Amino acid sequence: VRVVIADDEALLRDGLARLLEDAGFEIAGRCGDADALLRMVEARRPDAAIVDIRMPPNRADDGLVAAQEIRRSHPRTGVLVLSHYLDSRYAAVLLEEAPERAGYLLKERVSDVAVLADALRRIGEGECVIDPTIVSRLVARKRERGPLDELTEREREVLALVAEGHSNGGIAERLFLTRKTVEAHVSQIFLKLGLRESPDQNRRVQAVLAFLRSE
Amino acid sequence: VTSLRVVARSPVRRLAPAAAYAALAVATASIARSRPELALAGDSRAALAAELAVGAVLVATALVIRRAKHAWFPALLAAAALAWLLSEWASPGAASALAAGLALGAAWPVLLAAAALRGPDERRLGPLSCAVLVLGALACVGVLGVAATLVFDPALEGCADCPRNLLLAGGDHVAWTTISQAGLAAAVAWSFAFAAFSLGRLARASAARRRVEAPVLLPAAAAIALFGVDCLHGFDRGFTSNDAVDRALRLGEAAALALVAAGAAWTRVQARRTRGELARLVVDLGAAPSPGDLRDHLAAALGDDSLELLHALDDESGWVDANGRRAEPEPTDGRELTPVIAGGRTISAIRHRAGLLDDPAVARAIGVTARLAVEHARLGAVRRARLEQLRASRARIVEAADRERRRLERDLHDGAQQRLVTLAVGMRLAHRQARGDPDLEAGLADAERELRDATVRLRGLAHGLFPAALGEEGLAAAIAVLAEGEPRLVSGELPADRFAPSVESAAYFMVSEALRLTSDGDVTVAAAREQAALAIDIITDAPLREPPLRAEDRIAALGGTLTAGTRALHAELPCES
Repeated sequence: VRVVIADDEALLRDGLARLLEDAGFEIAGRCGDADALLRMVEARRPDAAIVDIRMPPNRADDGLVAAQEIRRSHPRTGVLVLSHYLDSRYAAVLLEEAPERAGYLLKERVSDVAVLADALRRIGEGECVIDPTIVSRLVARKRERGPLDELTEREREVLALVAEGHSNGGIAERLFLTRKTVEAHVSQIFLKLGLRESPDQNRRVQAVLAFLRSE
Repeated sequence: VTSLRVVARSPVRRLAPAAAYAALAVATASIARSRPELALAGDSRAALAAELAVGAVLVATALVIRRAKHAWFPALLAAAALAWLLSEWASPGAASALAAGLALGAAWPVLLAAAALRGPDERRLGPLSCAVLVLGALACVGVLGVAATLVFDPALEGCADCPRNLLLAGGDHVAWTTISQAGLAAAVAWSFAFAAFSLGRLARASAARRRVEAPVLLPAAAAIALFGVDCLHGFDRGFTSNDAVDRALRLGEAAALALVAAGAAWTRVQARRTRGELARLVVDLGAAPSPGDLRDHLAAALGDDSLELLHALDDESGWVDANGRRAEPEPTDGRELTPVIAGGRTISAIRHRAGLLDDPAVARAIGVTARLAVEHARLGAVRRARLEQLRASRARIVEAADRERRRLERDLHDGAQQRLVTLAVGMRLAHRQARGDPDLEAGLADAERELRDATVRLRGLAHGLFPAALGEEGLAAAIAVLAEGEPRLVSGELPADRFAPSVESAAYFMVSEALRLTSDGDVTVAAAREQAALAIDIITDAPLREPPLRAEDRIAALGGTLTAGTRALHAELPCES
């Protein structure tokens, strides 16, 4: 898997590159700002780009904007946005337009290569990944009534794990259920959220979006 | 103050001019009666009585209106009255005083002109007025009076029973005729010039100015013009006499002089009435007038609806209006500025229609009578200005604090947190190299855990300082983010539109303070734009541990209000609609 890393902190990108190389990834390039990232993706066509949300030139959400741009112009390249912010709104902005092959993780995950590698792998498979901390905050918050209230407690639990990017097998393992039961829950979720007429992969992402949007 | 001064005035000072006039009037009467065929009043007792009465009225008026120590108008008016009598003394009956009658017989028009130009409001005489008076004195006293008298020998002119002319330098008939005629011609020219000058002056003056000057100046100009006509009538003879025309003109002059007295008295009454109006202000305003009261009363008393009252700040740092808002003490589009002076200091100023306060008596009356009311209004305005300054200063402090919070939040994210993450990656790399050394691995694992913990805490700290969502997307987004980390927070209807940064942060921190002051139970928040205010309602399941002082400070600094119950908070923040 070929990856480019965009972060304005040189020490961090180099350290991260070494960790990922050790984990078997190929580093296709490193850069420190949004414009360089876009040029690099254009030239090297990596499988995924790891992007810091705050980057030059504006030091605002330049990384997020660049990630969206990559999703638009290079549908085969996945993006993993790293952020210091727990706000779900950045994740929602990222997934709103092109929810597949996109992920939003808290920045401190970079030192946990296993999490990072897992996220990159799932993104490569066409799923979306949201940081578990953000997901659990979304589950815990008080919301107005919506379609999510139709879900049972167990179904909501399954949906949260789907949002974190787990496969049905992974979810079955975590919840000590059979894979078949999980599949049944997932199709119930699709039914209740009104997601019927699309391929399975797409529906999973749609379900996550519904989860992110509900307030 | 004025009435006290009237009481305290010495009766001697008041009686001296009256006594002088009485003596002079008795002398004049006896002179006129001794040779009625030569008296200007003729042989009519009634005409003589009218002459004397007019003089008396002038003196009496002068005495009544005399207030200040250095009042020139009453003195000049009284002098004109005395000189008016002297014109009867150019008669054989005057005996040794004949010379005075000859020399000063035409002095009264000049003195009257001086009094009229000075006016009851004691105007300063301009250079033009002074020139007019000097020319009048030269013509009427200098040439027609003194110069002619120096060469007038009564014996030579066929007045056998005349007394000696004490001023006679050398009798010369031709010289006397020439000088007299020259004097008469000059007096005619001057009299008419003065009348024209007076009329021109009144025409050019503002309405208020005209109201003050006309009552005295107009009849005075008429009396002087009649004197000029008399001089013209006597030109061929070489002297003014007492034929039918002369007598008629003399009566006309007397009537005009009576009008001068009436005018002076009327002006005085007017000034007193205005002072009365202003004095009522103090009574009407009562103990605690509201900001615009004095202005409204002044506007009504002076008849100018658009009148404005401005006040000077104590430290001379500027001017404010009745509501304490900054104002510039400048005359604007056709309006004038009149200062109100108390204790030698300009405390306030009235901006009014041009010419409204040209009457100095009114301006002075405001200074004297309404001074307490003005000072009271000024102190009120100054207090409001100070409060406004204080509020603005508080708002600036809150804004500065917010700016600092935002800067700190960014610094923590871009600086400290970024460093911690870099450090974590470095430790992870070290951890790999430490494989096979269990002690080192365990130590590094502990350190990494600590580091993760520090990162999480730092994020919480940065978010608490100033949530990025608040600056980027506004109140509703920031409350939504807050709700993600705080399950107790229930958000109801929130306006999606943006408000001023200080309004948004005041509303946001009010919510976060409600969460801080309750340890359990839901906190429900709803907000809505209501005209020019953002209204925020917070209901808490548990009672607040203490009053939300921080929120109160922020909200008050913006000029808003916060009502706090034990389980409910309601705030209204002013914002542009």
